[in-house]
Amino acid sequence: MTIVKPSELLIEKTTNLLHNGMNARAFGDFGAPEALGDARWTDELILSTWHMAETGKIPEKLNFKTGNSDGGFDRLKFQFLDESEWVEHSEKISTKLDLNRRGDEKNKISIDIPWYGGGMSYGSVSINVMMSRARNARRWNSFISTGEGGYPTELREVEENVITQVATGYFGVEEDTIQAAPIVEFKYAQGAKPGLGGHLLAVKAGEDVAKLRGSVPFVSLFSPFPFHSTYSVEDHSKHLDWIETINPKALLSVKVSTPHDVDMVAVGSFYAGAHIIHLDGGYGGTGAAPEIAKKNIAMPIELAIPKVHKFLVAEGVRDRVTLIASGGIRTADDMAKAIALGADGCVLGTTDLVGLGCTRCSNCEGGPSGRGCPWGLTTTDIELQEWVPQDWAVQRLDNLYSAMQWRMRDILRKLGLDDVTQLRGRTDLLQYIPKEASE
Amino acid sequence: MLTSEKASGSVISEGRLSMESFETESARRGRQLADLYHRYNIDTEEVDDVQSLPIRFLVEVGKVGLAKYIFKEIIHYKGNTEVILSRPCTYGVFSGPVGGFSPRPHLCVGCLRCTIQHPEFVKVLPNPERLSLGDSYTTHGHIAAIDEEAKKGMVPVRGQGYRGRFGGPGFDGMLTDMSEIVRPSRDGIHGRELIGTSVDIGSKPMHLSFDEKGEIKGIKPKMFSIQVPFIFDLPPGNLGTEKLIRVIDSTSKGIDTLACVNSSDVERMAIDSANIIPVLSIDDAQKSSNFPNARLIQLDGWDSSAVDAARSVSDAMIGVRIKFEEGWQLRLDSAVNHGVEVIHLLADLHGRGEDGQFVIELFKEAHLRLIEQGRRDLVTLIGAGGIVGADHVPKSIISGLDAVALDLPVLFALQGRSDGSLVERAGVIGNLPNKMDEGWAEQRLTNLCGSWRNQLLEILGAMGIREVRRLRGEFGRSMIVEHLEDEAFEGIAGYVGGGN
Repeated sequence: MTIVKPSELLIEKTTNLLHNGMNARAFGDFGAPEALGDARWTDELILSTWHMAETGKIPEKLNFKTGNSDGGFDRLKFQFLDESEWVEHSEKISTKLDLNRRGDEKNKISIDIPWYGGGMSYGSVSINVMMSRARNARRWNSFISTGEGGYPTELREVEENVITQVATGYFGVEEDTIQAAPIVEFKYAQGAKPGLGGHLLAVKAGEDVAKLRGSVPFVSLFSPFPFHSTYSVEDHSKHLDWIETINPKALLSVKVSTPHDVDMVAVGSFYAGAHIIHLDGGYGGTGAAPEIAKKNIAMPIELAIPKVHKFLVAEGVRDRVTLIASGGIRTADDMAKAIALGADGCVLGTTDLVGLGCTRCSNCEGGPSGRGCPWGLTTTDIELQEWVPQDWAVQRLDNLYSAMQWRMRDILRKLGLDDVTQLRGRTDLLQYIPKEASE
Repeated sequence: MLTSEKASGSVISEGRLSMESFETESARRGRQLADLYHRYNIDTEEVDDVQSLPIRFLVEVGKVGLAKYIFKEIIHYKGNTEVILSRPCTYGVFSGPVGGFSPRPHLCVGCLRCTIQHPEFVKVLPNPERLSLGDSYTTHGHIAAIDEEAKKGMVPVRGQGYRGRFGGPGFDGMLTDMSEIVRPSRDGIHGRELIGTSVDIGSKPMHLSFDEKGEIKGIKPKMFSIQVPFIFDLPPGNLGTEKLIRVIDSTSKGIDTLACVNSSDVERMAIDSANIIPVLSIDDAQKSSNFPNARLIQLDGWDSSAVDAARSVSDAMIGVRIKFEEGWQLRLDSAVNHGVEVIHLLADLHGRGEDGQFVIELFKEAHLRLIEQGRRDLVTLIGAGGIVGADHVPKSIISGLDAVALDLPVLFALQGRSDGSLVERAGVIGNLPNKMDEGWAEQRLTNLCGSWRNQLLEILGAMGIREVRRLRGEFGRSMIVEHLEDEAFEGIAGYVGGGN
């Protein structure tokens, strides 16, 4: 079957149906689809994310806080103060996060919310999705990462809000895009497939994608693991020096997964010159990963954050580095818990996609159709990508972020805090829900 | 077929090297070895279903609602067929001759686009028949994974992240480590090509003694290698039909592993070979002489006189099957004291011993017990029970085994169903497909082994371990979720420890 770009009328019809359908489901007009959701992203969590993306507000009747995974964030809750002690909900409650804590001469960057968008390459997602996330990041004075797939020219209009990722395949890594980046991110590993590198299936490596990556169209692309130029932390330091030479002002971020010795890796990265240590936990998202890797290799982010935080504190360097957590972080509540466990901020990926309609059907890699995501999110199929108009998507992400920022402030005020940085490492404000309590 | 002898290079061990001819002779032998070298691989090939699993989703379309909708569209879009005939499914569920009036639910992957786009008249439901497969331990998810692996022979790859519970009981509570920079090899795409999965079966002597002529003194070690750290166990319950035995026999030869078969079946079917492990009752130990080609014979239970009787009539290694029942530790000690080279440990099909302990702990106890006695390398530990997923293989080896034995996965790889227990071996009542072609079945088992071996390579690659033998007992390269929770959540109100 030949796939052609759909007519305007068909785009209008399909997007109307999809958007109206999402709206109806989010507002409970037809209930939750029977087959929607899983233990990590329950049907209510997906629908509440849609609700927030529709309205900019948290829903009243849906659980927007936790999933049903029986552990980690889903067994933690906050010990809020008595209502009489709550701080008034206002925009004065700061959600701002400084990313450069080293006190060096590089960019002084603060973001208005304690999270930014994780790397999703062009190829793994459509240009519409990539641009929507970037344009939304600009609205929120935050960032998205390019992922490992190059730097589409469209991104230039928002380059102040784009992190250039350098990963093990060096796909699309060019001097000018490093020079343009306020932050350069080295991706050593990805939480969903730690130690296994990346893989873009042939069906998604179309002409534009291949051109950007300097490869042959419709040939599978592997990012090897690990960096073949890194045997030690000293080699890692050379990597960072290389970026510093090309762009002396850029902040350096190091993205690693969560092995047994993640604390040592984090400290090593700090001494090598990293401004941001980005931990990606084992329950993180991916466009394609072996199923065996997703839950069996490396640890969930909830368990890695305190380990690294405590180690950095003991090393006396905690306040000189920004610790960012990702991999299985779904909600504002998850982010607040991650910060209470010791992170400074978070990175979101799947949440953005769910906000745009993702039902987590797991067919991002192509699925039986070979065309990728049927919602038009994780695909470069010329028909399917039209189901995600940029302006619509930007507004949905904007709404979602508004609701999440509101909820973040709500949590802070109920804890008597007026700045998100005050929450970091405050495990005394958390409570664990014992298993027997919920059985 | 690749035989173990070729793999180990033992076929060219003619004579001893002398100092005078060392350089030229060793170079010649090196060339000979290189000529024999063949990189081990399991050739997989996708095969058709014979008895498909129940479909994942049921698709219900309200016919009246659909008809009304189409009528409205015809009017609204004035007969524009591109728009009117567009369908809310890229997988073909509604692409049959009459579209949504007769959907094709077997093509549904659960993206739910149709039910979001048309909530008024389309429903997608999880199929309860599929969800009811298996039991609380061997879940429908395990069965579906095995089915897919046996069909395609590939590593299952999907988008999106993990969908299940946080940690969990049994094998789910163990995570394997990874290394950010250390790799087994810098060659190839991931260095997997150079990772070894062969394991040694038998006893590794702690030292060798030589006589004046330079010959090994005493009993020569009988150790041999197989190419994968898994063997086929005795088919549980009523599965041990002649047809199935022929299939596991030919598959084990094809991939160079071993298959346990009841001795009476081995004799009746005349399949005595190097890849078959005849399993005899203790009372029949004397019949070991009936299997001259076997490299390993197992006795079902520990009895020193039975082992002696078997040894007296057979040159094969004599192994012992020990259930995790009360007193298993003493039976293990006695067997190893008696020089038994291979111990086959058995838990129930949920991976539990008689005392309820899970195999991770049981395997670990057996392994550490032998280490403390300084005798671990004198014996090969094989274990079975509860191994129903590809990740269970490396996790069992980390727990201390040399190799695992597969039981229920064989049933599900061949698209069989069980009407009986999935806990007790004897209670398994398996129904294999009526018209099971043996070639088809062999390919499916080969595919399963290929897929599981490749998934083992993924784990080893991520860990930076170059051969599976080095994975044995590497507790330090694993993580137990409960321990991690203790470390992470210690001091948090309400957390009492042990993941609670």
